[in-house]
Amino acid sequence: MPAVLVAVGAVCLLLSVGLCFLNTHEGNRAEGVQFFMHSYLTNYMYCLSFGLGALFFVLVQFLCRAGWSASVRRLAEIMASTLPLMAILFLPIIVMVLMTNSVSLYEWNTDKPEGLIAAKKGFLNGPFFAVRSLVYFLVFIGSAYFVYSNSRRQDESGDAKITLKIQAFSGPLIMLYALAISFASFDWVMSIDADWYSTIFGVIIFAGSMLAFFSLLAISCMLLQRNGKLVKYVTVENYHDIAKFMFGFVMFWAYVSFSQYLLYWYGDIPEETIWYQIRINTDNGWPYIAVILLFCHFVIPFLGLLSRHVRRHRTGLFFWACWLLIAHWIDLSFLILPNAGPVESMFLVGHLLGFIGMVSIFLAMLLLKSINVPLVAVRDPRVPEALSYHNIIV
Amino acid sequence: MAHKHKTKKEPAAPKSFGWMAEFVDEQQLLVAARKLRDSGYTKTDAFTPFPVHGIDEALGIKPTILPFIVLCAGMTGTCTALLLEWYTNAFDYPYIISGKPFASWPAFIPVSFELTILFSAFTTFLGMLALNGLPKFSNPVFTNPRFDRATNDRFFLYVDSKDRYYNRDAVHKLLKDTHPESLEEVLEDESSADIPQPIWMGITTLAIFSLIPLAAIYLIRESRSEEPRFHIFLDMDFQPKKKSQQTTTIFADGRVTRPQVAGTIARGQYAPTGSYYLGYDPEKVASLESAKATRFVTLGQPPAETAGSPEEGTPPAPQEPAPTAPAAEAKPTGTPATTPAPAAPTATEATPATEPAPAQPPAADAAKPADAAAPAAAPATATGEVNLDTLPWLTDFPEGVATEANMARGKQRFEIYCGACHGITGDGNGLVAGRAAELAQGYWTPPTSLHDAKIRQQPVGRIFHTITNGKGKMGGYSSQINAEDRWAIALYVRALQRSRNAKIEDVPEGERAALGNP
Amino acid sequence: MATTATASVDNTIEVPGRRADLVTGNQTYGSITDMVCRIAEEKTPAFWYPAFGASSLVALMFVSLIGYLILVGVGIWGNMNPVFWAWPIVNFVFWVGIGHAGTLISAILYLFRQNWRTSINRAAEAMTIFAVVCAGIFPGIHVGRAWLAFWLTPYPSLNLWMWPQFRSPLLWDVFAVGTYASVSLVFWYMGMIPDLATFRDRAKTKYRRMIYGILSLGWTGSSRHWMRYEKAYMLLAALAAPLVLSVHTVVSFDFAVSQLPGWHTTIFPPYFVAGAIFSGFAMVVTLLVPVRAIFKIEHLITLRHLENMNKIILATGSLVGLAYGTEFFIAWYSQNQYEGFAFINRAFGPYWWAYWTMVTCNVISPQLFWFKKIRTSPFLMVVVSIFVNIGMWFERFVITITSLSRDFLPSSWGYYQPTWVDGLMLFGSFGVFFTLFLLFCRFLPIVAMSEVKGILAIQNHEKHGHGDHGSHH
Repeated sequence: MPAVLVAVGAVCLLLSVGLCFLNTHEGNRAEGVQFFMHSYLTNYMYCLSFGLGALFFVLVQFLCRAGWSASVRRLAEIMASTLPLMAILFLPIIVMVLMTNSVSLYEWNTDKPEGLIAAKKGFLNGPFFAVRSLVYFLVFIGSAYFVYSNSRRQDESGDAKITLKIQAFSGPLIMLYALAISFASFDWVMSIDADWYSTIFGVIIFAGSMLAFFSLLAISCMLLQRNGKLVKYVTVENYHDIAKFMFGFVMFWAYVSFSQYLLYWYGDIPEETIWYQIRINTDNGWPYIAVILLFCHFVIPFLGLLSRHVRRHRTGLFFWACWLLIAHWIDLSFLILPNAGPVESMFLVGHLLGFIGMVSIFLAMLLLKSINVPLVAVRDPRVPEALSYHNIIV
Repeated sequence: MAHKHKTKKEPAAPKSFGWMAEFVDEQQLLVAARKLRDSGYTKTDAFTPFPVHGIDEALGIKPTILPFIVLCAGMTGTCTALLLEWYTNAFDYPYIISGKPFASWPAFIPVSFELTILFSAFTTFLGMLALNGLPKFSNPVFTNPRFDRATNDRFFLYVDSKDRYYNRDAVHKLLKDTHPESLEEVLEDESSADIPQPIWMGITTLAIFSLIPLAAIYLIRESRSEEPRFHIFLDMDFQPKKKSQQTTTIFADGRVTRPQVAGTIARGQYAPTGSYYLGYDPEKVASLESAKATRFVTLGQPPAETAGSPEEGTPPAPQEPAPTAPAAEAKPTGTPATTPAPAAPTATEATPATEPAPAQPPAADAAKPADAAAPAAAPATATGEVNLDTLPWLTDFPEGVATEANMARGKQRFEIYCGACHGITGDGNGLVAGRAAELAQGYWTPPTSLHDAKIRQQPVGRIFHTITNGKGKMGGYSSQINAEDRWAIALYVRALQRSRNAKIEDVPEGERAALGNP
Repeated sequence: MATTATASVDNTIEVPGRRADLVTGNQTYGSITDMVCRIAEEKTPAFWYPAFGASSLVALMFVSLIGYLILVGVGIWGNMNPVFWAWPIVNFVFWVGIGHAGTLISAILYLFRQNWRTSINRAAEAMTIFAVVCAGIFPGIHVGRAWLAFWLTPYPSLNLWMWPQFRSPLLWDVFAVGTYASVSLVFWYMGMIPDLATFRDRAKTKYRRMIYGILSLGWTGSSRHWMRYEKAYMLLAALAAPLVLSVHTVVSFDFAVSQLPGWHTTIFPPYFVAGAIFSGFAMVVTLLVPVRAIFKIEHLITLRHLENMNKIILATGSLVGLAYGTEFFIAWYSQNQYEGFAFINRAFGPYWWAYWTMVTCNVISPQLFWFKKIRTSPFLMVVVSIFVNIGMWFERFVITITSLSRDFLPSSWGYYQPTWVDGLMLFGSFGVFFTLFLLFCRFLPIVAMSEVKGILAIQNHEKHGHGDHGSHH
């Protein structure tokens, strides 16, 4: 199965490259390359966000001594352990930055930067970018590995001290994580428009990642249960709590996105509004996406998840989790693609194929990581609590 | 149900409301409650010091509709806020603020959010009270002193006598079998259910006192007085400042500023003399005309700006406020006459339509005679006005002005300062002029085209003078552009003018090909 | 059996899979009632009168200074061109920030099912309301003509013929702080109703019974009432949680929507919220450590409660540090010379001392809480929390003053210095705060008895393994 998925993924990605390259106007290859690189980054960030969200979730659960999540935490640990494999998929970007002077993704990636970008050369340059990316991945992969390996060891020994050990390290690891995800967002996503800046940008990426992770968690639990796994381990109370987090992060995403928009809209300084200028003040379709995001990423799921009955209803929750996964993809496309210049209809097909390809590869990783691994941290001392608690009121 | 029992009866057997069993532990309570439910009783209730989980199910209590009510209230709050913001800021009182649209939806979000929460929260609280029938101060369950421990450490189970299956003895037996700590009937409270007198008195007193501020506000709003009602900031209401026809306490002599000391020049008012700064030769003026011209020169005053100064023969009076009426109006603060007066622009605004005519004196009646009566020999008219057409203007640029560098500088300055109105090419069609034409405002005087024959024929000194002191609607630029740059602009204006009227021979041999001319 | 002996049990040791006791000393429902009611029923403790006298005198001084201000005008403050938002706004943001912990504890920790909130939420909520009262005073008197402050409300005026400006963040503030104050009050009061009923039922005198009877609205503890009450409490918590975030977000908008360097940055909303929680928890720790010792409620407010709060202080303090760093980095990254200067000026300009006080107190001092010794020592945690309070006041000072005193035009730069009135007003606002808090300690239930009893029930339940409902954490 993973092999099939990898094959599908590779074929889709190649098709995506092909579509972007071949459907450009004569002598306008650069446009195709530019779009493909942005599309690749979008889909890459999409798949990476599950791992990033899962890692934060796992760390926080240990830090807060959470009991409710002990039965679903292993799934999150597995998602977080896809991060090393995801790092491999980042190599094309690193190679492009290090080996070429192509500005098709990062406009600072040139020998002769001009204007403000020249002044940022000390930070925004190929080698330093690569070093920083390495550090971010070290932080992410290191913490994911630390938690996962210890948690697996607990499967064998059932030693409660391991829980305490992870808990003790989770505090510092979360601090490193916060630093790494902030700056990774600046480097990987924000710097595609090297002039533009927003201090809240890392938080926006974080909010989207958490939302994506919780949606994926809900969906995976349901699919596994349908296939006879985890049946006794994930209760309606767990679903209810996951749904509450989805609901909460729908609001949090809206909160941080609106904060950025309001402050830039109000300040109305050209170097800041340029980001919105090419997104909501043009006639190339992006303004419609902005409206779609407002409704599909906030208003509609907010109203949909408002009811306790929906949050405790499997089909309802499944529907909203799928909905939010799609909305998250649109969100990332909105964050990245408008910087790729004009969009041709064939590009969009390429983008969609890239999405299918990248997600297939991600799913392959996920399957690879979950084969022959207990899907529940069965000997975690807090699992009994996770199985027996009740959402009394909330 | 306090009201029902208000009528005082003779002390017969007090009315029984039902049975109340007391337990020491919530587990016993739950067991007993389940038993009641299974026996079919529905008018039951438990009284506990904290919410016992499982009791809802054990007593068969149905969920509340409170969340739905709150949702409706929240949506009402959102709509109220949006409507209020739109009505007040976009409809009833539209007012441009920081360049934002009247209906600024992003800016309306925070208050809409707050009102949503406000409405929902108060509905939650009041809705909870209303659904619970609170406040209700008289309740038969309070009759028994044992019940005081319901808010402390005991758990009570109650069966109401209005239950469909209620039978006094059967219920008693049923409850007895659950081994309660105590089991008693809830009897009617025989004490009065009326609100106690001290509370009445308290409420009345509060009500009376709360009327005082209302009455005071009413009194203040309805009384009529010439004076402001309060002087809260005394030093703001009675500040020592200049008011016309009044003296102040700032200086002993009642003035607000000091007269200029003889022989001094106030900061920023130094006006150098000499042809380089005036555009005409002051000495020639002196030779042409007598005392008056000399005075212009000595005061460093451009002739046009002396309009409204005293009659010829009156000695200059720099240390006193100008005595004549127009000057006094132009200088309301009583500053000495040496100030480069804002009189000229103010005055000429009164006659905007006379663009082709020379600058007009403020005395509008004198305008036409002045123009007509200008003798060729004398720059000053009989009324003491200077005729600009006859001043001895510089006809050549002063030494060192006509350089390549100055030409470039002049072009740059011209485009910054002049181009907005006169147009980059000097045709009088700049952006401001275009916009004004678009607005079709009747009082707008279109800027002159610098290619007018009249302007072309003006000596350079006069162009410099116009830049310095303004003309018609155009204000003087001496405060913004220094003399060197003004000459540079004049130089560039000359170049512009010449460019329209040049022959091919004027172009240097080498450059002719560039014009596409054979 | 129940004990009130002060020898406290160490419940800070974590045993995974077993929830530590949140109520120690073998308490019963009755002993909890006794412990809390006793504070309001017994003879007024000796320390109370001098403490109340002193703080009410300071409060009186504050009120007199407001009178002086109204009579003479805002010139008695140090506010000057270009620092028009000076000390009063610093105080406002400081107090509003402190006023975040109470509702946060009651609402957000409730939604996260953090049972340890129950012993501390009542006092924290009271503190919130008193802090918001102090906060509300400052912008009120800062408007200059304080007696016309009601013009901020949108009412159809026949005299003015105008409406408030809803595009102004200052008006958002009026709505945000107003909503927050009233909702917090409702939340606090609603939480107290069952406990006020306990006071009523234990009252020995007629008047006491009458007053607490009115305040408790005839509460009986009926299960039907409890069901709606719990639902309402949950709804209020769900409403108050985003409300808490919104209040300091709107306060941050006051600054961030302007174009002033150092103010106009998008991290402000979450960064202000983190700072507010940080300062609020610090104030709760500062107050509750002495309160639990004086009123002998160490078995209810245990070391574990305090340790948890200290962990939150550590987390939010580090978040605030991250925000400082991000701001500094983006100021360079933006290559906006004004932003860059604003931050260099903060650290090395004329107000360097305020900046480094802020960094030391806010970022460095909470890092001490990495050590369990420090975060479980009542004395040391009070020291750190006071440092945090000082640091958070200076944070607002740094943000407000440094940016205003050095804006785009060097010709309009200035150096702000407070006057004695400014200083005494800050001091006086503490008088108001402590006066109200002392009254609260004396006359109202300072611990939510009914909620603690619910926790005790769960705790006993887990120990004795009754029933089939399992545990709650």
